[in-house]
Amino acid sequence: MRVIAAALGVAALLIAGTALAAEPWNIPHEKQAVLKGRVVDALCQLKGRCAPDCGGGKRQLGLALADGTFRLVAKSNIDFAGATSDLAGYCGREIEADGLLIENPAVTLFFVQRLRERPDQDWIVADRFKADWEARNGKAEEWWRGDPQANRIIAEDGPFGIKGLVPKPKP
Amino acid sequence: MTILSQALRPAALSAAFAALFAFAAPALAQQSGQRVTVTGEISDSWCTISGLMFAKGTAHHQCAIWCALGGIPVAIRDAGGNLYLILKIGDDEDSAGNPRVAKLATHEVTVDGELLERDGVKYLLVDRIADDKGVITMTHEEHGIQPFGN
Repeated sequence: MRVIAAALGVAALLIAGTALAAEPWNIPHEKQAVLKGRVVDALCQLKGRCAPDCGGGKRQLGLALADGTFRLVAKSNIDFAGATSDLAGYCGREIEADGLLIENPAVTLFFVQRLRERPDQDWIVADRFKADWEARNGKAEEWWRGDPQANRIIAEDGPFGIKGLVPKPKP
Repeated sequence: MTILSQALRPAALSAAFAALFAFAAPALAQQSGQRVTVTGEISDSWCTISGLMFAKGTAHHQCAIWCALGGIPVAIRDAGGNLYLILKIGDDEDSAGNPRVAKLATHEVTVDGELLERDGVKYLLVDRIADDKGVITMTHEEHGIQPFGN
C-alpha cells in the first residue's frame, strides 16, 4: 500500500511539475526556469539612475535574484512584445517568473511566460501588453500591423527602411 | 504625540527602512563602465537570438520596428556578433517601446558610450550617435520580408 501511495505521489508531482513548466519555444540555448527575484529597472540596478515606478513601463526591467544575479526580462507571451507591461506593476516587489532562460554566448536573457507574487497564487499569463495596447488603440488580431507608430515609421521610410525601395509586385 | 502616531511609529520605521533599502540596494550594485565606440546594426534582441527568422538588413527592417515598439530590448550587433543592449541614448532613458529607437531599426550606426557587463549581458549607455549610415545591408531579395512576407 505504501509503495502504491508513494508511486501516486511521485506521479502527482511529475504531473504538477509538467503543468508548471514553461512551454519550450525551441530557441537555441533555451532552458526552462522559474526565477524568483525583485522587479527592478535595469538602469537603476546597474547605474543607480532610478525612476519612479521603474520608469512606468518605459524602461527595460529585470529581476534581481537573491544571489545577486540580475536577469533582464526581454520577452513576454505576446508576439513582438517585451515584458515591461507585465512587470511594471510589481516594481520593487518579489515575484516568481516562469519562462525560458536563454544563455546564448552573445547575451543571456529571460523570456517570461507567466508570473505570480506568491506560491499560493494562480499564475498570471504574461500577456498584458496586448490588453494595454488594445486599451489605447482598439481591438486588433495582430497588434503590430495596427500599431500607429509602426505604420507611421514604415510609411515614412518604407518597409525596407530605404525611401523609394518597395517590394516587387507579386506575380 | 498622539496615540495613533505612537501606534504607527513601528510601521513607519519599517517603511522607512524598506525605502532606504530599496534605494541603497541599487546604489551598492551600480558599476563603473568602460568608454567604448561601437559600430554595428541596430536590431531587436528577440529576432537576433531566437533564430526563428532572418534578422538582418532590409528583410528584417519592418519586423525590427515592431519588436522595438513592442518593448523588446534593442541592441547593436557588431561585426563579431557581439550584442550591446541599449539602455539610453543621450538624455533619453526610455529603453522600452521608444519610437526614436524604433526609427533606427536595422540602421548601421557608430555610437560612443559606456559599456557595462553584467551576468552575461553587455549593456550600452549611448552618449551620442556619431554616425548613422541608415539601412545598408540588402537582404530582402534573398530572404523576403521577415517574418510573414508583405
